[in-house]
Amino acid sequence: MSVRPSVGIVFPVSALLIDIWLLYKSGLIMSAGHLFLPFQIKREIATMKLIRHPNVVQLHEVMASKSKIYMVLEFVEGGELFDKIVNSGKLGEDEARRYFHQLINAVDYCHSRGVYHRDLKPENLLLDSYGALKVSDFGLSAFSPQTKEDGLLHTACGTPNYVAPEVLADKGYDGMAADVWSCGIILFVLMAGYLPFDDPNLMTLYKLIARANVSCPPWFSTGARNLIKRILDPNPHTRITIAQILEDEWFKKDYKPPQSEHNEDVSLEDVDAAFDSSEEHLVAERREKPESMNAFALISRSEGFNLGNLFEKEMMGMVKRETSFASQRTPQEIMSKIEEACGPLGFNVRKQNYKMKLKGDKTGRKGHLSVATEVFEVAPTLHMVELRKTGGDTLEFHSFYKNFSSELKDIVWKTESNTIAK
Amino acid sequence: MGCASSKQFKRAPRHGDAALLAKETTFSLDEVKALYELFEKISYSIFKDGLIHKEEFQLALFRNSNRKNLFADRIFDLFDMKRNGVIEFDEFVRSLQFFHPDTPMADKIAFAFRLYDLRGTGSIEREELKEMVLAILNESDLLLSDDAVEQMVDQTFKEADLNGDGRIDPDEWKAFTSMNPALLKYMTLPYLK
Repeated sequence: MSVRPSVGIVFPVSALLIDIWLLYKSGLIMSAGHLFLPFQIKREIATMKLIRHPNVVQLHEVMASKSKIYMVLEFVEGGELFDKIVNSGKLGEDEARRYFHQLINAVDYCHSRGVYHRDLKPENLLLDSYGALKVSDFGLSAFSPQTKEDGLLHTACGTPNYVAPEVLADKGYDGMAADVWSCGIILFVLMAGYLPFDDPNLMTLYKLIARANVSCPPWFSTGARNLIKRILDPNPHTRITIAQILEDEWFKKDYKPPQSEHNEDVSLEDVDAAFDSSEEHLVAERREKPESMNAFALISRSEGFNLGNLFEKEMMGMVKRETSFASQRTPQEIMSKIEEACGPLGFNVRKQNYKMKLKGDKTGRKGHLSVATEVFEVAPTLHMVELRKTGGDTLEFHSFYKNFSSELKDIVWKTESNTIAK
Repeated sequence: MGCASSKQFKRAPRHGDAALLAKETTFSLDEVKALYELFEKISYSIFKDGLIHKEEFQLALFRNSNRKNLFADRIFDLFDMKRNGVIEFDEFVRSLQFFHPDTPMADKIAFAFRLYDLRGTGSIEREELKEMVLAILNESDLLLSDDAVEQMVDQTFKEADLNGDGRIDPDEWKAFTSMNPALLKYMTLPYLK
């Protein structure tokens, strides 16, 4: 019953293109017979899911079969940054610095969450359609220890040109300092158009890297030279840190610190099971129409599938953590009615297209009650409004829904089902 | 007749049978025993023969033994692996494991595929999807024009039937559910853990 890998299929999914990357090829295969992901990998993936940064390729979904892990990643359509160099030669210092700013921001953000890249190289630097840098495969190298033990596989995988000397020496290393080194090589390549350390003979290359004797081309400014020298320091303990890079004069030119991203509502449920949390994309798109609900999504709401009813008789009279109602009004009307209803109930509303986040202003038994709601189009004349408790107490959600639905009674056509909300 | 009795549990499952089920499913021995209690409650609710009949299943699910529902029928039919019109304990446990939180997604995807492949042809046809859409609309008392239903089925097929042959085959289904994992939320019961 294993899913056969079908590498690189691209599907359009609700106005957003995402790419299924079967990490099959990256050594992500679990040993046969392992039914679930080992704990560590699960934790690592959960951390990756929390990474939300404008310059990091986002992990949308995680799924697992018996033998493989599937990750649905943000689809980045602008190609690789290094194609630019291949096509048009080296970059000017200002342009290179702009990419370097974004790279350092991304790396700094991930480090602050305990995620190291360990394999920063040109293939992992992508550009989106607006030309913004997107670093991909953050955290993934942690999953391929087999590749490291097997020297053959390792060298066959790619060039070690971007790898820090202490990593090559394989003495156990600090992921932070190693990532900084790779950023330095990348900066050099952007401005020089060639690698600082390069030799067709692997042993010679290793020696060049270990010695770290870098000579910058004449067109590098003094500021750039100084920074690169401090980054390409073979001793990881004396190598410049990201905090120090942020203070560097050359770096600071035209530097705009990144805006912080909110990740309060990231769902990790799919890491355990599978859960749709494709909400909250970084790029806020304006949409004319609500997301349409496909036929299978509608079917999956049948009470006939709700086998939970077999288990807890006492659960049946209660409202669940999520509920929905149907309406024949236009989505705009529904949205504004919901907004109106929230005021008297003491709820704050945050709106994005046809999704809203409602947050109670009183602290309840388990903190603020918060509710996510979204309008879906079933047909042009029929909309489904879903409400899901995202925080707070379930009983409070129950009573909220009761008040809420009575405020909305002129737009509610049918509620979810007859077995709940009594 | 020795081997026939191992298929049916007239009384509490013998230790050996429960252990075998625990070995061959996601459940532990204690969980199998707990499931037996549940099974017993359901299977003795009307006919008192230690087998779950359709009416008993509907009673447990809807608290109404007469409530007909296409989707409950499908679940019942898949649980009834031997196709003899009743669910035995062995079938109950083996089928419920698809709903276990630790069961691999691929197995759940395959189970859902069989649910929706109403006529068992190995693919989900347009007609089958339409039949299911009409059933869910009917179940929820929602009215939609035939045009709107057709449109919805067309749209879903456009997304799921990648090669456009008018049928959703298992590979297309895997791809579709992988992109829409929320479709299979009902396949995971937290109670089982």
